[in-house]
Amino acid sequence: MAGAIGNLALFFSALFNVLLIVYLVKRIKNNDFKNLKIINFFNDSIFFLLLISFIILVYCFVISDFSNVAVYKNSHTTKPLIYKISGAWGNHEGSMVLFILILSLFSFIFARTTIDDKLKFYTVFFQSILIFIFLIFLIFTSNPFDQIDPKPLQGLGLNPILQDPLLAIHPPFLYFGYVGFSLVFSFALAGLATNSFDKSWSKIANFWIILPWSLLTIGIGLGSFWAYYELGWGGYWFWDPVENASLMPWLAATALIHSNIVTYKKDKLHSWTALLSIFTFIMSLLGTFLVRSGVLNSVHAFANDPYRGVYILSAILLISFYSLTIFIIKSPRKNFSGEYSFLQKDNFILINNCFLIFFLSVVLVGTVYPIILDAISGKSISVGPVYYHTILAPFLFVFLFFMSHGPLLSWNKEDKFSQIKNFKIFFPTSVVICLIIIFWLFDYKDITLILGLLFSIYLIVSVIFDWIFQKKLSVNLGRLISHLGFGVLIFSIFVNAYLSKEINTAMKVGDEIKIQEFLIKFKSINKVKKENYDEVFGNFLVTLNDKQVELSPSIRKYDQPVQFTSETSIRSNLITDYYFAINLSEFEKDKIMVRFYYKPLMFWIWLSILLIAFGGIYQTFRIRNEQ
Amino acid sequence: MNNKYKIIILGVTIIIIFILFLKVLNSDKTYQPNQMIGKKLPQFILEDLFNKNTKLDTSVWANKDFIVLNIWASWCVPCQIEHPFLMSLKDKNKINIIGLNYKDESKNAKNFLKKYGNPYSIIGIDKKGEFAILLGAYGVPETYVVEKGKIIFKHIGPINEDVVNKILQLKK
Repeated sequence: MAGAIGNLALFFSALFNVLLIVYLVKRIKNNDFKNLKIINFFNDSIFFLLLISFIILVYCFVISDFSNVAVYKNSHTTKPLIYKISGAWGNHEGSMVLFILILSLFSFIFARTTIDDKLKFYTVFFQSILIFIFLIFLIFTSNPFDQIDPKPLQGLGLNPILQDPLLAIHPPFLYFGYVGFSLVFSFALAGLATNSFDKSWSKIANFWIILPWSLLTIGIGLGSFWAYYELGWGGYWFWDPVENASLMPWLAATALIHSNIVTYKKDKLHSWTALLSIFTFIMSLLGTFLVRSGVLNSVHAFANDPYRGVYILSAILLISFYSLTIFIIKSPRKNFSGEYSFLQKDNFILINNCFLIFFLSVVLVGTVYPIILDAISGKSISVGPVYYHTILAPFLFVFLFFMSHGPLLSWNKEDKFSQIKNFKIFFPTSVVICLIIIFWLFDYKDITLILGLLFSIYLIVSVIFDWIFQKKLSVNLGRLISHLGFGVLIFSIFVNAYLSKEINTAMKVGDEIKIQEFLIKFKSINKVKKENYDEVFGNFLVTLNDKQVELSPSIRKYDQPVQFTSETSIRSNLITDYYFAINLSEFEKDKIMVRFYYKPLMFWIWLSILLIAFGGIYQTFRIRNEQ
Repeated sequence: MNNKYKIIILGVTIIIIFILFLKVLNSDKTYQPNQMIGKKLPQFILEDLFNKNTKLDTSVWANKDFIVLNIWASWCVPCQIEHPFLMSLKDKNKINIIGLNYKDESKNAKNFLKKYGNPYSIIGIDKKGEFAILLGAYGVPETYVVEKGKIIFKHIGPINEDVVNKILQLKK
């Protein structure tokens, strides 16, 4: 019954969507942009209908209505309530409903802002086309309300490694980011179509770029955090294609944020900003395609129906084609007139924009090339961390250098002098601090490590310097926080990469072994029975320089579906993480496989990601209040 | 350039991308554990366990007629179980066994060999498990038979009587 209502709501939202598009086309033809009442009515109805169908889907999961195929395939009565709810978007169909709901939500909110009617008209038009394309996909290839008859008594369960509180909120954040870029995309097309791609466009776009960017940052951070403590491999970033899929729109959007500022402040780079707006969303769609089409084998790959893959692929390419065609025809051509000087903020932003696009290309090639090569020639190549680190690191240093200096420069040529004075104070300071840290703390004389630390500290010092001498703190605070976060992030990543330690061994209860500088004692095991799994804990004592840490990793055996997962045990402080994971040994009963990791500065990696996101959120609030 | 041409170029590009990805979608993505069977032994540079300054180039092994490549580690319990079989392969059947010491401490590895005997003619160190990835290994122990540089057989887990017989058969 509930399913029927949900289906109906979906159907009506699609119908309203078609009506809205037809109506908009008619109005645009007549050049009639006054009176948005009817448009708002349709737009709101679509949103509320989608919201209803989403709520009904969640309801089906909560009451375990197994006559619904999606519920049957992904849920189970013994699952805790939170995972029943999150199960609603932990599968292909449900996640597509969420995807479309967010598309519509952004359109809904946008229609409520006060901007030029014509621009709003077109934005809603382009957004409706996106909603239409994905609604058709949902209804015809992945309907979340498909029924089974007769109704099964029990569901198949949710993949245990997805049963995690973080994963309940990780996809919504990512989606708000990914899908949020759709609005800038539509808004950019609207700006191009109406020939109003200018300063005032940038001013409004700023909010719609930074908001999804901040949410995407949090989403990526959550995913990374989950991989760190759930997968038990001791790492937080694996350059996995799915992770890359979220990083690509992030890089494009980061470039967009900055180029948009230049467009706003100096009324230039219009074409570039417009192109980035389109490109960022295309990157989001590419991510969706990679994750959703079954091209990749991973925990994220839900859809293995080849028709879905072909549809998503066609949809994405169609969207790319029409948006880029509009860009080609309507690309704003304005000649910039004014004094030119190299030591200007916009030049540095432009340079780093190029770097960001370069980073993006590296990730894009590393992600897509192996897939295509495999399909065409049957050769598999593995593109791993070595590829990314060797290619990205040297350019990252230069990037950090420009990032340290750019904000200290001014927009105009006139007050160049004060900046050079700043440079004279902060350059030596940061170099001295950096050298002290390197020679005091590390025996390593690895050049990559030294450069990484040097340039990240350089950035941190420049931000602090900027912060202290900042005259317009409230305007710049968001940027300062995000840049500070980025500096701390790079610093922590380098320290972590070079000082982490890993121990792999097999142990039985009572064993005590000394490997490297760690003394590991396997004290005892105990068993616990929970609602939907049995758990065996191993209790370990790790000693390092008189410091003792107790860790209790475990192995869980889930009932539905039967699957073993390894639960890590992590003791964290400001300086380092002690990380323990155990696995069953397949061949011998009395010993278990033990993995111990010593991971420095993990806390700072998470904190810095939060800082980066927080800077963005602060900025969106400031922009909101200003408008 | 004329806008018309730009749009044509864009369209052609999009069609090419579409065809490429369509091929990807239609390709068989089921994971085959035997995917290295019949393939060439990957080329890699390893460190020698007993002589840190010597570098071992795996492509040299490709020139040999018949070798058994065994992935092992001192911390790996099943490796101890299969060890007597490796010893007998070497002593009785004169098979050339090359060891790949996987994510191990060199000191422990040497102690292991002192205690149980050394069946290997050469041992390369794969501290980070990089070569194992190239081999498509799941973990330790794993045993490969390489004939004239081509992987012709693979066994996951400790070897036993049956696997030894299989290897001897392949040798003939």
